[in-house]
Amino acid sequence: MTMFSRNDKSPEPAPAAKPQATATPLNNPPPAPAAPAPVEARRAPVPSAHGAPSVSVISKALKITGQLESTEDIHIEGEVDGDIRGVAVKVGHNAKVKGTVYGEEVELSGTVTGKIEARKVVLTSTAHMSGDVIHQDIRIDSGAFIDGNCRPEYGKPDGRAHSVQKAVAAPPNYPSAKPAEARSIA
Amino acid sequence: MSALPLRALIRTQPRRGENGVPASRLGSGVTITGSVDTEGELHIHGKVMGSVRADRLVLAADGDIEGDIVARDARICGRVTGRVFALNVMLDSTANITGRIFHHTVEVAKGARIDARMPWRPLNFFETLEQLPETQP
Repeated sequence: MTMFSRNDKSPEPAPAAKPQATATPLNNPPPAPAAPAPVEARRAPVPSAHGAPSVSVISKALKITGQLESTEDIHIEGEVDGDIRGVAVKVGHNAKVKGTVYGEEVELSGTVTGKIEARKVVLTSTAHMSGDVIHQDIRIDSGAFIDGNCRPEYGKPDGRAHSVQKAVAAPPNYPSAKPAEARSIA
Repeated sequence: MSALPLRALIRTQPRRGENGVPASRLGSGVTITGSVDTEGELHIHGKVMGSVRADRLVLAADGDIEGDIVARDARICGRVTGRVFALNVMLDSTANITGRIFHHTVEVAKGARIDARMPWRPLNFFETLEQLPETQP
């Protein structure tokens, strides 16, 4: 295009270039659209060949140190040392996560050391959860390991502050409170 | 400088019986702040702010890495700001690289935007690479 406009302005190369420029589209129109096609074809395989699924897969040989954020689904089979924020997060059988998993839906089959905060939480029979689960809807399969509190406080405005307070206060008070209550009733 | 927690160097020979390591994929909606480390293949469509190490790395056209890359094979179609340490580098026409490309073999497609030095290094540079040098791009 720039060549063409330049030819228009400068009078000397115009006679040589102009007939050529006009001749090519007139004489053989098929090559003109065919020319950009190979470029298109060459570019196309790059995203399509590797971009078939829209999920992210972190396979078992992969380790992430740091924060992982996603606006799409994540499937983790590897190791994550840090927080995960996703929409639907699947923590697979061999996966290890150290940190908080935030999401709409979290399905845990692997190991999480930290916290899960999600609207819907599924702990399958191979799940190993060390830490609190903050949820709105939870399913726990037989065989799942949980060392922590499950609280249906997902999405509540003061849920987090409240839960932190409770988590700090609960362990020392809970054992002593029960016998005291029992005594007073008796 | 974001020093990679590199335990191992680049594997100049493919590991025997490595077929078991499945490929990983980071979709276009993914942002990672920190380092990514894998022994297998890694396809990045998202953004990584930090260092990346993989055996075979494919950075898609919509991918973006701000940090160092260490790989045996690196195919780059996206944007890189940082250093690349790779035995075999392929720069696609959509690549956009700022930094340095330490390579043994390199292929550059027409259209690639490269604002980088591309030092050639012998094989043993990559074989003995245990820690990234402190050079600034």
